[in-house]
Amino acid sequence: MSAVVEVKNLTKEYKQKKAVDDLSFEIRQGEILGLLGPNGSGKSTTINCILSLLKYSAGSIKIFGEEMTPDAYKIKRDIGVIFQEVAVFEELTVYENIDYFCGLYVKDKQERKKDIEDAIALVGLDEFRKYYPKQLSGGLLRRLNIACGIAHKPKLIFLDEPTVAVDPQSRNNILDGIRKLRDDGATICYTTHYMEEVEILCDRIIILDRGKIIAQGTSDELKALAKIEEKVTIETKHFKPEFLEKLQAAPNVDKAEYAGHQLVITYKSGKNNVAKLIEELSAAGITCNKIFSERPTLNDVFLELTGKELRD
Amino acid sequence: MFGHNFKYTFKVLMRNRMLLFWTFVFPLVLGTMFKLAFSNIENSEKLNVIPIAIVDNEDFQGNEAFRRTFETLSDESSDEQMFDTVYVSKDEADTLLSDGDVDGVLYMNGAEPEIWIHENGINQTVLQYVVDEIVHTSAIMEKRVQNELEQGAMPDIEGLYKNVMEQVAGRKSNLVDASRANMSYTMIEYYTLIAMACLYGGILGMTALSRNLPNMGNLGKRTAIVPISKAKTMFSSLLAAYCTQLIGLAILFVYTIFVMKVDYGENLPYVILLALAGSLAGLTLAIMVTTVVKTGENGKLGILIGITMACCFLSGMMGITMKYIIEKHVPFLDKINPASMITDGYYALYYYGVDKRFWMDVASLGIFSAFMLLVSAQGLRRQKYDSI
Repeated sequence: MSAVVEVKNLTKEYKQKKAVDDLSFEIRQGEILGLLGPNGSGKSTTINCILSLLKYSAGSIKIFGEEMTPDAYKIKRDIGVIFQEVAVFEELTVYENIDYFCGLYVKDKQERKKDIEDAIALVGLDEFRKYYPKQLSGGLLRRLNIACGIAHKPKLIFLDEPTVAVDPQSRNNILDGIRKLRDDGATICYTTHYMEEVEILCDRIIILDRGKIIAQGTSDELKALAKIEEKVTIETKHFKPEFLEKLQAAPNVDKAEYAGHQLVITYKSGKNNVAKLIEELSAAGITCNKIFSERPTLNDVFLELTGKELRD
Repeated sequence: MFGHNFKYTFKVLMRNRMLLFWTFVFPLVLGTMFKLAFSNIENSEKLNVIPIAIVDNEDFQGNEAFRRTFETLSDESSDEQMFDTVYVSKDEADTLLSDGDVDGVLYMNGAEPEIWIHENGINQTVLQYVVDEIVHTSAIMEKRVQNELEQGAMPDIEGLYKNVMEQVAGRKSNLVDASRANMSYTMIEYYTLIAMACLYGGILGMTALSRNLPNMGNLGKRTAIVPISKAKTMFSSLLAAYCTQLIGLAILFVYTIFVMKVDYGENLPYVILLALAGSLAGLTLAIMVTTVVKTGENGKLGILIGITMACCFLSGMMGITMKYIIEKHVPFLDKINPASMITDGYYALYYYGVDKRFWMDVASLGIFSAFMLLVSAQGLRRQKYDSI
């Protein structure tokens, strides 16, 4: 796959603080690239630099093989951006808002009309086309925000945390829409601090912290970076604290903790860990209410690499 | 793209209720309040004769125009007596004014008339107006004499001088009527009201422009990434704001002419021309504040409204005497105040017709607008967007 966006040694300094520190990566044709990181990790700053909305201190940015500048109108014609904050006109209806932004890219009225209808269908706002933004819920407003950014059918789309403060129904709708855009041939750069979203949506993931790339790869490649293989959580009210030492000493166990009626055991490796654990607990006369077993998450990867949680 | 952006910016501005209130409705409300407030003042003052003192010095006695006019306007046997005048020394005049026995004092200092007042009011305004009229009419006649001399003719100095006296004294009825009914509070207030509407219209320009600048909010960021030059989107947005502003002014004129029965004189095309120039000044002032001042949108709006109100105050909106004080003591401030340029333009148009003074005011507004645009262009060029 060829690179649609090439970022080389990008650095952005605010006074003496580096918001983005020597960042190099590429976004490949037809993929969804996830930029994952906690608040303040430099995701939005990186996007703003790529779009030439911000001046950067060092580095180079190429889009579609050409250098990106504020006057690169040919490149801008094929870019769509959905910012973290909703950016629509309160005084215009849903349809008018989409028409306005689409009209800044598409001159032909007939073509534009079709594009608007496609965008409305994609985000599921058909019955709200005559509504004003203040009449829409937070989720619907986010959908309108997305429609305004993609109605002109861009080849490259930047989505900056589009699902913040969105209800589950709207979130699913948005994620389905993004997949549809990718399936239709768009290349997408998706920034978020919701690890679940990047796991189910993105082909590749870049994890950022303090303006630096700390890891990148597919979801499975990243999870392999975590030292744990399995995490088992057990709800029990009859746990005997002296049993914790025995568990910690068991083969393959990385860590065992008990707090608030929850026993959490992480395993470095091994097979049938849950079955063996239940056996041992039964033998010790400890009854279990609920048992969960899960593979390591991207949060575990982040924790492993930085020593802190993604949402810290 | 230009038309598309213009159409939607116009739609956005025309649907913004808060903006429409401040630019369309507020001037109408204020005008109605002026009408109610000042018509009462004028009615109650209309029958009163104004007590004044004139410093009876050589300069006054030597100035035929002033002496004869005030004699005529102080004639107790006339039904149209305007002043109850006492002729006293400088010290006595000062005492009379301090004791409140007279409303104003006229003191001729060489050829320059000085007016001393203790407080602002309708009577002081009338006195100021009469003095202005005498100075103005005398100046016209002096210029006529000079022209005749330059053309090689021997002017009939005596005849012309007599003419000055007749002109000033003969306009007594007009002075009484004009100064009290028209010139007094109401007309000046209407002029400053139009000036305020012109400058307030800049809020529309600020709103439209803010949506094109990425450091001014999310809409600005979204507009900054479209494949159109910033100049094109800005110009079409500002044109839409200017058109919206003119609609507001048209409503104000219609309302004041047909509902409040304000007489703007017979030069309607020039009245409109001055409104166009004034609105442009308001718009460019807003562009300058938007592009140069480094603060948020609300902060910029506050600064723009503050400047507008200060300009209107200094041009006499909240007390006409302020206009005279500024003209006399800080003439530079009066020259750079767009509200003063607008009010002075209407004043000139109403009393002297389309003459040099009117064109000077229009030209001043043009120069003011050009300067504002120049400063704005520099401000825009320097914007780096290190942080948005």
